[in-house]
Amino acid sequence: MINWIKKIRFATLMFLLAFIIISADNKFDNEIIAPEGMVYVPAGPFIMGSNIDDPDSSPQHIAETGAYYIDKYEVSNVEYAKFDVNHKYNEGDEERAATINWNQASAYAESIGKRLPTEIEWEKAARGTDGRMLPWGDFYDDSFVIYSKTNTRGQSIAKPASPYGCFDMAGSVWEWTSDWYQQYPGNTHDMEQYGEKYKVIRGGSTFNNFACFTTFHRYYVHPIDTRAYPIGMRLVKDVE
Amino acid sequence: MPNKIAGHLILLITILGSYVSTAQKNNNYPKPDDPLHVKVKKYEALTLDNHWNEGTIMFQVYHPPGGKDMPGFGSHSDLIDATGEMLVAYSCKYAITKKQVDKKIADQLFEGILKAEKVTGVPGLLSRGFYKTDEPQWFEKMWYDEWHQSSAIPGYRWLGDQSIDKLVSVFHSLGMYYELCADEEQKEKVSDLLSRFIGKIVDDNFRIMDLDGKLTLWGNMCPDLPHNKLNSLVALAAVKVAHQLTGEARFASAYKLLIDTYHYDDRQLLSNHLYPKSMRHIWDDYHAVRSLYMVMKYETNPDLLNKYRMTLNRQWHVWKDITFESESTIFYIMLYDLITKEDKMKDPSRIEVLKKMNGHARRMRTFNVPNKDGTKDEIRTEYDHASTAFIRNYWFGRYFGFIDSTW
Repeated sequence: MINWIKKIRFATLMFLLAFIIISADNKFDNEIIAPEGMVYVPAGPFIMGSNIDDPDSSPQHIAETGAYYIDKYEVSNVEYAKFDVNHKYNEGDEERAATINWNQASAYAESIGKRLPTEIEWEKAARGTDGRMLPWGDFYDDSFVIYSKTNTRGQSIAKPASPYGCFDMAGSVWEWTSDWYQQYPGNTHDMEQYGEKYKVIRGGSTFNNFACFTTFHRYYVHPIDTRAYPIGMRLVKDVE
Repeated sequence: MPNKIAGHLILLITILGSYVSTAQKNNNYPKPDDPLHVKVKKYEALTLDNHWNEGTIMFQVYHPPGGKDMPGFGSHSDLIDATGEMLVAYSCKYAITKKQVDKKIADQLFEGILKAEKVTGVPGLLSRGFYKTDEPQWFEKMWYDEWHQSSAIPGYRWLGDQSIDKLVSVFHSLGMYYELCADEEQKEKVSDLLSRFIGKIVDDNFRIMDLDGKLTLWGNMCPDLPHNKLNSLVALAAVKVAHQLTGEARFASAYKLLIDTYHYDDRQLLSNHLYPKSMRHIWDDYHAVRSLYMVMKYETNPDLLNKYRMTLNRQWHVWKDITFESESTIFYIMLYDLITKEDKMKDPSRIEVLKKMNGHARRMRTFNVPNKDGTKDEIRTEYDHASTAFIRNYWFGRYFGFIDSTW
């Protein structure tokens, strides 16, 4: 008899626990609905930087962001051309990422009520909280990135998403961040390029070596004089 | 009367001036029906006259009005490739002719590659290209923002961001020069350069590091970072050649480390894509076959030789059906034959292609030349694309018996 009572008590407890969890999940889903084409990145700390990459990516450290939404895909030619009628691209490249300079990216973002991500926001969206090397994990495969010019956004063979559901954060085109190229806190490698001359780009382009695809790799480019670098954008929006 | 003399003098100076300013421009292109050996002779002269830049060969040269009458005006991104091709050509040519004039050109080309290092001021860091100038020229803006003022040689500018394909060009061309042309003093210089260049890459954990201390955009063979499997093959070939030509034990250790710890011998097996077809990059196989030729020349372990041969077999699965006409496909099959002894080049249709080889014709191109005030002028001008691969294919083919001197 006592055993039966214990079993009923235990079952009731489990039922209540399950109810609380499911209710909490439903509550979360009801409250956080990302705008169309964007995904939600929750507030909190994550592992940023690396001790195996270029000296400017070190040291690996804990960084923190607020909550924000970020685009699933890079902004396409056809999307950007609605803002800038002078934007030229080849026929058939409508869904490929638009390549623009920092000022153009920034102006476009403002025109649609979004903004460029900070470096911290970009890196967290790409690698999540487990410190992974690439958006999908710690190993590389060519079928995971846009490898051929015939592929458009999100159309790599394997189509892997980042922990929060972003595509093409490795390869495709480099992506602008809003930040100047500055030294990380605790970094001891001085570079004359640090300061407010260059903006940070992230994610690498398919044209460059695979180390540029890593979630922690940083590169610096003049905001206007972008030369031959293929740089696009993925925008963020604050959670109100 | 004095005015008339002055007028004549001005006319004479103008004519002489225009002659001097264009004296370097050789326009003597071969006719389409010239025999192969005549075409090669003319393209050698065209290359040495129009593309020469202090021992290096400019891949593309821009003529006035877009360009200027100064050495080194053009694209520098592939200067090491063109120079390496010409070094292989003249090393093979000297091995056939034994003429000092041919050796002298090969020696100057080697000195040009040495200067590509010296101009950076960093031992073991090779520039992609360099030129002497009072001020930065407009063509610098056509490439990444990687140009530097030389601190080692005043008055020079050099292009950074060295890449893996140029590493292949360096160890392949220096290996050929060492074997076929260099005297003892030059062999020592070759060894020293490889020791610095490849030694620095090994010390930097198999990465080509740039002046700013960052990995170059195409210089990654690092075992700790994701990299192209072709680059694993290149890394093995680079340290193998370095060990062979320097005798330094550290390169043998590096080779062993890459195989025993990081399994680069297995990684390189997949250095080319077979499927899907859209991911095939046959240009990469050109770098692969030069690496395979060099590493298999010096490798004696039968298991490793078998693995390298497997890589070549995977490539041939694609190459057996490729139209045999371009410079790189001709060279690929020559190297394939030398490694496998399969005599693919003896196919009559391929021999016909060899006989009809030719260099690049002069072309016109429109440039948006930036002015100092930020505006741009659209200028249409002549430019020459180096025919060094054609010249290299000819003399390499002659040396190894693919091409007959009477063709």
